[in-house]
Amino acid sequence: MDALEKSHYVTPDLYDLVYSGYVEDLDFYVAAAKAARGAVLELGCGTGRVLLPTLQAGVDIDGVDVRPEMLEALKRKAAALGLKPRVYPGDMRDFTTPRRYALITIPFRAFMHNLTTEDQLKTLRVIREHLDSGGALVFNVFHPSFDRLAQGEGEPYLEKEFRHPGTGLPVRMFVTPHRDRVNQLLRCETEVQELDGAGRVAATHRYEFTLRWTYKAEMELLLHVAGWPRWRILGGFDGRTLEKDTDEMVVTAWKD
Amino acid sequence: MKETAEGRAAGAVAAAPSPYGDAELYDLVLGGYRDDLDFWLSAARSARGAALEIGCGTGRVLLHCLQAGVDMDGLDLHPSMLERLKRKAAELGLKPRVLLGDMRDFTMPRRYALVLIPCNGFVHNLTTGDQLKTLRVCREHLEPGGALVLHTFNPSFAEMARPDGERVLELEAPHPVTGLPIRLYDTRRKDRVNQLQFSVNEVEELDAQGNVLRVRRNETTMRWVYQAEMELLLEVAGFARWRIAGDFDGRPLGRDDNAMVVTAWRE
Repeated sequence: MDALEKSHYVTPDLYDLVYSGYVEDLDFYVAAAKAARGAVLELGCGTGRVLLPTLQAGVDIDGVDVRPEMLEALKRKAAALGLKPRVYPGDMRDFTTPRRYALITIPFRAFMHNLTTEDQLKTLRVIREHLDSGGALVFNVFHPSFDRLAQGEGEPYLEKEFRHPGTGLPVRMFVTPHRDRVNQLLRCETEVQELDGAGRVAATHRYEFTLRWTYKAEMELLLHVAGWPRWRILGGFDGRTLEKDTDEMVVTAWKD
Repeated sequence: MKETAEGRAAGAVAAAPSPYGDAELYDLVLGGYRDDLDFWLSAARSARGAALEIGCGTGRVLLHCLQAGVDMDGLDLHPSMLERLKRKAAELGLKPRVLLGDMRDFTMPRRYALVLIPCNGFVHNLTTGDQLKTLRVCREHLEPGGALVLHTFNPSFAEMARPDGERVLELEAPHPVTGLPIRLYDTRRKDRVNQLQFSVNEVEELDAQGNVLRVRRNETTMRWVYQAEMELLLEVAGFARWRIAGDFDGRPLGRDDNAMVVTAWRE
């Protein structure tokens, strides 16, 4: 994925600074992994935000990520916890692991790094090949919110403000969105500002990434074309029905 | 597709009057729309064989093409529309072959070089299952080398973000007989997840002073389609290749285009 060259995934420290505090999906993915009747594989495991707590919960979970730097950071964190996870560098569109799984997960909208229909289908197909019979795929992506898409094209906004996990000082994340309606692409120019005790900007980090959003009916067609016989699409980690365009799409698809 | 995608929706057709039950009103509102006529006539003329129009209605496109000497049949779901088409055809000395039928499941006695679905006819398919049925049966009615061409709306962000319930003046046109103004208002509500647009249409006939003489209301439900979704639908329905344009001029679908012109070849 060439687009990742300029991305935040090459610097695990920055990635962790911005995203390690996100915990809203942890209970969901850990519970799904515990309920699986066999081994679990996480695609886009990154620095282990979901994988390490899942391992700590006693689940047999492997990981795949396209960025070796992220996996190195994951392994360091795992070693500090006395864990030895099996993680593999690989592209979600075309990966091979030595075993098959009862559950494959793609947390944190990583499926949205597939920027074309062709890439989406490759990913869905290779995942299906890595499942045991009876196995399932679980992932989440955002459903596009039209009120957001229609506003502020090219204008920066404050995405979030939080405390630095090490120093406790404020960190601000600004995003400048660029949308391609026809190709369903959202490119985010991101600026992370670390503030000092006096509220001045002490350090600035810039990166960008591109995501492709998917509509519900389109997702169903993708699953169908990729060979999945049945699926369920919900509107949040709490299991609600997908009704509003601001809902999160939480997809479960069964191999057979 | 799985059952959930196939089933629903047809039952969602509102009990309120459909605009297609009143053929005279339909002509009053849409009879003057001519922007697409050149495109369809040119497509039909360049086809190497007969053409079939799905959703031919009262014959706005079909009669225009027949008069130009094109061999074109028609299909429509509404008897009152076809009755009006036949009366208009008779006045012109034409005898078109038009059949009453559902675009999802029809059988014509012959095959075609071109099947066309003009003017948002396709958006009456309210589920993926219905869309696929329509595309498949259209493909079955094509001769080898034949193509399906359809014109459908593709809402812009601005249209998508428009608040529900806003009453919008959709078009203003002169009455074809009296020349007095006619206004079409559309009050829309959207189900953004299921890609459904629910419209309450009000057609006002005005007098010369601008007083409203008569109002007629009807309701429609339409399902819009996105480009990537359309490509997947075409693939699943068995089409071999396709081109999706943003308008009749053939330009690629762009960010501000509100329509899609789809050409899909049988092989």
